[in-house]
Amino acid sequence: MQVSIQWLKDYIDFDETPEQLADLLTMAGIPVENVVRADEGLEKVVTGKLMEVEPHPDSDHLQICKVDVGEKEPLTIVTGAPNVKQGQVVPVALVGAHLPNGQKISKGKLRGVPSMGMLCSADELKMELANLPEEQKTGIYILPDDTPIGQPAAKALGLDDCVLEFELTANRGDCFSVFGIVREIAVLTGKQPHWPEISAKEDDETTAEEMVKIAIDAPDLCSRFSARVLKNVKIGPSPEWMQKRLEGAGIRSINNVVDVTNFVMVELGQPMHAYDYDEVVGHSLTARRAEEGENVHTLDDSSRLAKGGELVIADAEKPAGLAGVMGGLETEITEKTTTVVLEAASFNGPSIRRTSRAIGLHSEASGRFERGVDVTGTVRALDRAAQLLSEMGACTVTKGVVDVYPVKQEKTTVSFTAAEVNGRLGTEIPGAKMKGILESLGFVVEDTGAEAYRLTVPSWRGDVSCMEDISEEVARIYGFDNILSTTPQGAVMEARQSARQVFSDKIRRILASLGMDEARSFAFTHPSLFDKLNVPEDSELRRAIPIMNPLTDEYPLVRTTLLTNLMENTVRNFSRKNEDVRLFEIAPVFLPKALPVTEQPDEVLKLAGILTGRREPVGWGQDGAMIDFYDAKGVVEQLFAALSVSRYTVESGEHFALHPGKTAVFKKGRDVLAVVGEVHPAVQEAFGVTKKLYVFEVDVATLLANAAKNFTSQQLPKYPGVSRDLALIVSEETAAADVERVIKKNAGPYFKDVALFDLYTGKQIGEGKKSLAFALHFQSGEKTLTDEEVDTAVGKIVETAKKEFGAELRM
Amino acid sequence: MEEKIARLKQAAAEKIRQHADTLSALNDVRVEFLGKKGEFTTLLRGLKELAQEERPRIGQIVNEARGQIEALLEKKREELRVRDMEEKLANERLDVTLPGHHQWQGHLHPLTLTLDRIKAIFMDMGFTVEEGPEIERDYFNFEALNLPKDHPARDMQDSFYITEEILMRTQTSPVQARTMQAHEPNTPIRMIAPGRVYRRDDYDATHSPMFTQVEGLVIDKGVRFSDLKGTLELFLHRIFNENIGVRFRPSFFPFTEPSAEVDISCVMCHGKGCRVCKGTGWLEILGAGMVHPHVLEMSGYDPKQVTGFAFGLGVERIAMLSYGIDDLRLFYDNDLRFLRQFE
Repeated sequence: MQVSIQWLKDYIDFDETPEQLADLLTMAGIPVENVVRADEGLEKVVTGKLMEVEPHPDSDHLQICKVDVGEKEPLTIVTGAPNVKQGQVVPVALVGAHLPNGQKISKGKLRGVPSMGMLCSADELKMELANLPEEQKTGIYILPDDTPIGQPAAKALGLDDCVLEFELTANRGDCFSVFGIVREIAVLTGKQPHWPEISAKEDDETTAEEMVKIAIDAPDLCSRFSARVLKNVKIGPSPEWMQKRLEGAGIRSINNVVDVTNFVMVELGQPMHAYDYDEVVGHSLTARRAEEGENVHTLDDSSRLAKGGELVIADAEKPAGLAGVMGGLETEITEKTTTVVLEAASFNGPSIRRTSRAIGLHSEASGRFERGVDVTGTVRALDRAAQLLSEMGACTVTKGVVDVYPVKQEKTTVSFTAAEVNGRLGTEIPGAKMKGILESLGFVVEDTGAEAYRLTVPSWRGDVSCMEDISEEVARIYGFDNILSTTPQGAVMEARQSARQVFSDKIRRILASLGMDEARSFAFTHPSLFDKLNVPEDSELRRAIPIMNPLTDEYPLVRTTLLTNLMENTVRNFSRKNEDVRLFEIAPVFLPKALPVTEQPDEVLKLAGILTGRREPVGWGQDGAMIDFYDAKGVVEQLFAALSVSRYTVESGEHFALHPGKTAVFKKGRDVLAVVGEVHPAVQEAFGVTKKLYVFEVDVATLLANAAKNFTSQQLPKYPGVSRDLALIVSEETAAADVERVIKKNAGPYFKDVALFDLYTGKQIGEGKKSLAFALHFQSGEKTLTDEEVDTAVGKIVETAKKEFGAELRM
Repeated sequence: MEEKIARLKQAAAEKIRQHADTLSALNDVRVEFLGKKGEFTTLLRGLKELAQEERPRIGQIVNEARGQIEALLEKKREELRVRDMEEKLANERLDVTLPGHHQWQGHLHPLTLTLDRIKAIFMDMGFTVEEGPEIERDYFNFEALNLPKDHPARDMQDSFYITEEILMRTQTSPVQARTMQAHEPNTPIRMIAPGRVYRRDDYDATHSPMFTQVEGLVIDKGVRFSDLKGTLELFLHRIFNENIGVRFRPSFFPFTEPSAEVDISCVMCHGKGCRVCKGTGWLEILGAGMVHPHVLEMSGYDPKQVTGFAFGLGVERIAMLSYGIDDLRLFYDNDLRFLRQFE
């Protein structure tokens, strides 16, 4: 909704500047989004008289003008326009002007003659060319000879109006009208509006009743349908003042009849429609539901097939328009129209909204119906339209209004006390003051004693129905700024986060300390990404939930894995020359319980990470080594240690997106805690990556379930421990973890700890073998261990390892 | 005898001063005078040739001289040691301007950092942190919030639908209804609900089909609009700064009555008017209001007994204003050059 200041001033006088008015309205809940000044950029454009016009001595098309702009000395301005003559008054852009077309005016010199400004054309001033006579469209714009000189040109050009663009809230349908806005201005400024007198002079002997038949077949969708008939209609342009008002409201002028219906809609908030009476078959209009497949031929010359159930206004044969959304082509007002049926009706908002959304058409009318139109205003709107057209001499008005209004709307009353309102707001506003505010807004307030009131809601305020609504009306006029700030009293509450939230935050911090950067990605995906990730056809990850109305074809599904996002993020970083990528993300994936979806899916919180590039940041002392599988695994191990997840096993595993020989699964009992591995070469290739990538994936809830809840510290040993190194030669296929398991199992009662510190393969120990060197630590809480005790333990380890793996002790 | 001692002493001092410029030269001097075959040792041995009554006196003189020489030696030794150390260190200079060795430093996402700050401020005020599903029932996302089907306010939140009844939540507000329904009716609530939300908005510098919101809800006996003002002012002063201007404008949300848009004075121009605030001097930062009685009723609370306020804020917007980020897409682009700026 937008409206010019001039239109508002037709009905109320106020002294505020447009900006002040905008602020006043905004702070009362009638938000003004923009104040658009037509004179924007014309601040340094003035009227000037051409005192002398002489040809430029060094040019065959330039002219040198001496221009009086009301200052002591006339300005010298060189122009290339051929249409200037001595004695003319023209718009002059002074040095420093920044014209609406972006042009900046500075001192210049044209072929040696200094020029102190510019004479302007209509185009340069961003005037509406379509409204100008032909001779003014090109060349310098010529003002009337008697135009005062040295004045702002905007005024002389009629560009001094200003438009307020509103961003109205959905509840205030009443403010989608000049009357509504004026009503608010009156309350906020204390000024009295001067409303126009609305009455139609019925100067035609015929009665509307005998000419047209109006009916409502769908009373739930149309609560009132009123019509007037105008005869002897002369179609032509509407008067300039009306065109200007409409232009300010952003509505294009069409012809007098259509302009008047639009004018009344913006003025009173009641959408209207005009039908060419002679094209209305059977001279009858009925508000009814469309039948399925019924054809509606609309104004924009498209044939629209009804789904069935949409409200249409139909003549005796066919729909003559989608009610409240768009009229029909056949009954459109044309130059030949001589008799008009004017419609002013009240349609059901949700129904209009459905229709307009279904066909993707939002009109001034549909927007108003959606928000609610004052059902009591139809006849007034018809009278106003008839009055305006008849004042223009464009018609005669037949007698009476055909008004079908089966169920009269009842008045809403609300009871409230000042204490209730003050209690809700935290204020101490006297009841009398509340009453004053509400009355100024058009509510009828009845005193029922002891600061208690019963009020009747005006017909245009369908949004008010309870005490809470009243409190808002009082608060917004009293001023939110005038309400004190307090803090809630009452129960002291415990600030709490769920274990899962705390755990997730902890994971984030630990991973950041391990050099991983946190990513956040969209929860959308595409089937092709599953192909790229090598997801098997029968995997549940492919059963991603489709979105009914995706934004683009690019992302039609909701994600089932974070790995695709991490791959995409990595590829994007590569393309920006970020070669060392260490990213992780914690977010839910969405797994449907059934497809098609019948209930909410499982939202499973996952952690995934990706690593590639150098092991350490580039630096002068670093060797530039690349990350390998064990770096990625190390990150997971360190994460687990920091989360108190221990006593898990690691084994070789399988994952569709990972290298079959370089995939590790972390397990604890039946739970899979993590999968770590090198990205499968095929997946790498599908994503267009040549570098090796390592990823890990963790189910956060499973990890949380396996993290130690309580932590107690260990006492430091009183007696010295004993360390032993032990190198075992085993076949290359033997898993280090298996050897470690044997060590732990056979190391006796004093065993404390084991760490693999070297892995060797080479000639010294023979082909197909590897040497694993472990540092063992033994410790007793009761005594100092003897060499014999440790030797016994180590001996047993070696013996068992020999039996199980054929291990040899490396000397 | 005494003369001889004095001469020797002087000779020793002279040698220490002049010739002993290394530790080994100094040692040679020590041996020469104090060693087993040194001058003083010889001298002491010669004592027995002296008269009985002379011996103690001369002996004392010899010992004193010896002591003095030892002290000189020690002093010189220390000097040499310090000199040698200095010489050695002078040869061990590093170019300390070379950069140090670094490990990879990870970074939390700016939205996580912002969420952490928001959570901390509200938890200080006794708010719990609640969560809810991101794929939500239309009932919780709209209807339980007084937004029936075909309500024009639904246009403000164009939704991604999964089915007619299930959608990607357009706001974190459904957690309000879920939290109330999980509580004993009319018991007090103070909660925030952070999370991802989804709207069918084009992806540009200020819009995104997925973004992050924090919903807030306070319900108790006698909660007033003035409490909402005070709580949110406190929050905004802490998340931005104490001097920031805060204003409440009347607005409309179907789930609150009265409703307010909350603006802060522009962080870029401090209220003078600039491109960021479109010349108004104010930035819209959150929406809030007193919980609508229908919303309380639908979730089993009695609006006659308790009242409450609710608010919703955009985490991206707060992060953008806090960190001076001018394009929302940077949050979901995951460009490391961006992510690695945040500590």
